[in-house]
Amino acid sequence: MRRDVWRNFDYWLFGTVVILILIGIAMIRSAIAGSPGLAGIEQDQAVFAVLGLIGLLVLAAIDYRYWSALTRVMYIAAVVALIGIYIVGEAVFGSSRWFNLGGISIQPSELAKIVMILVLADYFARSKDKEHDLAWIGKSLLLTMGVVVWILLQPNLSTSILLIVIWAAMLWISGLKIKYILTFGLVGTVLVLGSFQFWPEYQQERVFNFLTSGDEEDARYGETYNVEQALISIGSGGLTGQGYGQGTQIQLRFLKVRHTDFIFSVMAHEFGFVGTAVVILMLIFVVLRCFYIARTASDMFGALIAYGFGFLIFFQMSVNIGVNLRLLPVTGLTLPFISYGGSSLFSLLVGIGLVESVAAHRYSTD
Amino acid sequence: MTEISYPSKTKFEPWRMWVVQGLLAVVFLVYGFRLFSLQVINGDEYIAKANENRISQISVPTQRGIIYDRNGYVLARNVASFNVVITPANLPGYVGEPNADGELVEIDAPVQEVYRRLSEMIDVPVSNGLITDETVRFFTPCQTDFGIAQIALIGDTNSPYSEIRVACNVDQKTAMVIKERAADWPGVGIEVVPIREYPTGSLTAEVIGFLGPISAVEEEYYRSLGFQPNRDKVGYAGIEAQLNDLLMGRNGVRVVERDAAGKIIRDLEPPVEPIPGNNVKLTIDTRLQAVARESLIYWMRTLNQKLYPHEPGRYSSGVVIAMNPKTGEILAMVSYPSYENNRMARLIPAYYYEQLTLDPQKPLLNHAISAEHPPGSVFKMAPAIGILNERVVTLDQEIYDPGHIFIEQRFAENEANAISREYVCWIYKNPPHVGHGYMNFYQGVANSCDVYFYKVGGGYEDEVPGYGLGIWRLGEYARALGYGELTGIELPGEQDGLIPDPNWKRRTQGENWSTGDTYIATMGQGYVLSTPLQMLVSIATLANDGKMMQPTIIREVLDSEGNVIKPFTPKLKRDITKEPVIQVYDENFLPTGEKKTVEPWVIQAAKDAMRLVVTEGTAKSVFEGFEIETAGKTGTAEYCDDVANEKGICDFGKWPAHAWYSGYAPYDDPEIAVVAFVYNGDEGSILAGPIVKDVIAAYFELKANDAAASPVEIP
Repeated sequence: MRRDVWRNFDYWLFGTVVILILIGIAMIRSAIAGSPGLAGIEQDQAVFAVLGLIGLLVLAAIDYRYWSALTRVMYIAAVVALIGIYIVGEAVFGSSRWFNLGGISIQPSELAKIVMILVLADYFARSKDKEHDLAWIGKSLLLTMGVVVWILLQPNLSTSILLIVIWAAMLWISGLKIKYILTFGLVGTVLVLGSFQFWPEYQQERVFNFLTSGDEEDARYGETYNVEQALISIGSGGLTGQGYGQGTQIQLRFLKVRHTDFIFSVMAHEFGFVGTAVVILMLIFVVLRCFYIARTASDMFGALIAYGFGFLIFFQMSVNIGVNLRLLPVTGLTLPFISYGGSSLFSLLVGIGLVESVAAHRYSTD
Repeated sequence: MTEISYPSKTKFEPWRMWVVQGLLAVVFLVYGFRLFSLQVINGDEYIAKANENRISQISVPTQRGIIYDRNGYVLARNVASFNVVITPANLPGYVGEPNADGELVEIDAPVQEVYRRLSEMIDVPVSNGLITDETVRFFTPCQTDFGIAQIALIGDTNSPYSEIRVACNVDQKTAMVIKERAADWPGVGIEVVPIREYPTGSLTAEVIGFLGPISAVEEEYYRSLGFQPNRDKVGYAGIEAQLNDLLMGRNGVRVVERDAAGKIIRDLEPPVEPIPGNNVKLTIDTRLQAVARESLIYWMRTLNQKLYPHEPGRYSSGVVIAMNPKTGEILAMVSYPSYENNRMARLIPAYYYEQLTLDPQKPLLNHAISAEHPPGSVFKMAPAIGILNERVVTLDQEIYDPGHIFIEQRFAENEANAISREYVCWIYKNPPHVGHGYMNFYQGVANSCDVYFYKVGGGYEDEVPGYGLGIWRLGEYARALGYGELTGIELPGEQDGLIPDPNWKRRTQGENWSTGDTYIATMGQGYVLSTPLQMLVSIATLANDGKMMQPTIIREVLDSEGNVIKPFTPKLKRDITKEPVIQVYDENFLPTGEKKTVEPWVIQAAKDAMRLVVTEGTAKSVFEGFEIETAGKTGTAEYCDDVANEKGICDFGKWPAHAWYSGYAPYDDPEIAVVAFVYNGDEGSILAGPIVKDVIAAYFELKANDAAASPVEIP
């Protein structure tokens, strides 16, 4: 059994993830040069990476099917944690997203992503042979919204959207009927447009700024400054980039939030089109590898876990890169494995650990 | 352990998986194309933008040149002005790095303490005014009601590593105290900016001028030379304007790399050092300038009180110019009233400037070169040399002055309905209403006998047959003496005066020239206009035996280290006894194309006559007992300009008059020639004569003092 685990362990996926993390740490190191307040955070990232990789290996060794029984407990724990933010959470930057445990900030919403995928995988796996009617959809939606509501209230729109998208993606793969898709599409569009005026002002502004991009004469001090500088950073990278630690946009701090949301621009600036394309291809490889594991999983629960995480990475990187390329409005979604963020990296590695567990425990149904 | 297990590989419907992977393919194809477009296709454009972000050109201000008088006395210099500035990034409690959302960490308590204590010293409130888009857009340092905190916040938003002014032009003591405390008050500093100071102020304002900001019209030109419209200033008047290019120097340039906060990281190119402007030494003697101004003010005030006690301000505007006739150096140039150019040092106050422009006496104008007035009888020296040189009369030929004469006003040769008009000699206007009697050339000039000049200038019956000198030839001699042309002095705004002729009159007045016009022109009235400087040049040319020296106000140009780069050399403009400058006319007053000189004996006769003015003639009473031997010519020029018309004092037969006197000394070997002019000053001999006398006296006194102080320098 133990030998089986390591025989089926996906070393390609693991290796790619490790390389991406190393690239990420290198990029963070370059991004924070010249900002004394951020000195040494690449070491924090390395610590989280090591912890995360240990967690990954441990989870890979454990049969993922054990988690099926624990989904209910995890779901309740996640909701409690999210509610707990209002009681003990610190208000940081206008929204409460962090738990501070002994100097380490923990973002319950990051953990909620894992829990949500497990819960939904469990739900859709169990109900595979049931009628895929409205009740089936409604139940899954209720499960999702039970978590999303609390994240929305933080307010953290981007994670909420992410969770809903994952729900939709899992619904889709589990056999959502086309007629429902058309109906939901219509209703959803109406709801989004109708509710726009009730969005928080900063969200409205972000969307507005995106739609009217370029209208602002002097973007330097406006909301569009960050995106504009990201675009300059990317464009000035050229084919082969300005060189590691040499990018003027980064080293002279014209690009803001460069170690998190805009780390893609840092890469594009210093390594150019070639380097960026390689990283994107590696990320796509990770996604496709997850999908491959999903297709070859021994059961529906495992398949949905692998698919769910693959889709999570796909969606998160699409949105992050889309923002950097100014194809999407600014959101808070980071670039998986690369962006700075302990909770985010840790939960991603936990997710990969679960996917590896699915891979490792293929064909062993006994 | 759950019991859920599925045997096959058909857990997902494959087409659903393909849709997802297709979506992935589409998204990354779009992204790939976008990335390629940004980086490879349009890369250069973004590289340019990235460079624009980090590279900036800094203009390093230069020093404007210093202006000295002929003795090295400073007339214009640069002094330090102190501004209190704040560098927001260096304030206590400031954290330069933005947080995750790109916002700067807020300024807190320790900085309030700095603001509070600074506020007590510089009289700017800690907090005042509301920060809105509107108020920030109109924010101008030094001219704002904002408190320190608001100004610092604006600076912080715009460029936290750049200094922003919170108080301007604080006194030196405050500046020093703040500077000492800079160690305890991080972020607070003193900026030293040079401003122009004029130690002699209004005494020399009309010559020196003042500075002002680069105007929108000239912005492009000065930018191309590397000047900064919001910082660098240019000359607006006087020498400051005329020699602006010489004085300004060249700014230095640094091409630097800055970080996002505006902090300079390094020089990208070797810096170009600023080149200081050249220094200029003027020909003005400030001491003589002071005497000339004081004398002008004294005589105007004294005689006004004595002669017209009920009409204060009757004599209130005038000009005095002193020149070395042998070199053309202007020793003094007073245009009164002038203005206080130190009030324009930091900025030009709108209300003061408006007051100056609205003043009917036009104090912003240098009247010595820019005001055109009828020159009156001083102008008679032009026909005086004309009638001798053209043999209209001989030196001894006597012309009879009965007090007034009548001639028929002819506008054409054989006009039928000629009107008889009376032409009066000035002496006839006063009791006992008699003429000068028989006058030869010397007496005619000495007594400024109008009838003498009427008759010789325009002809009179059999006494002076034909048309006398005539207007065409009169113009030749006037121009030979410098009337009707720019003197070319190095000051802005010079006017060229007017020497009328029949063509001019037809063209501008739509009327034919009459004999009477010639009469009036001969005595420097009517259409004839001259600037005070032109008049001085004409008398100086005669005093210097017909050699007209180029009048100049610049003695030397020095580089910033004091080395002379352009030494003074007197420039001969023309010698009318050697250069043929007089057009020869035939009997029909048509130019023959031939030219001739003025004969030296004619000049000598004119000089002798001007000596006689002082010893026997119209200026005798003024110069009686004066130990220095002078010569000169009085002038009382009747006028009727806009100002007089408005006052309603242009009564026919007794128009108001300007007072003129121009003289030189010593009469046989002149060193100084002076002209004095008082607007609406009545009799030239009474008001202008004493001023010229004072200036000449002062000149020789200063000369004696200087010689005593440095005996080695006697040439």
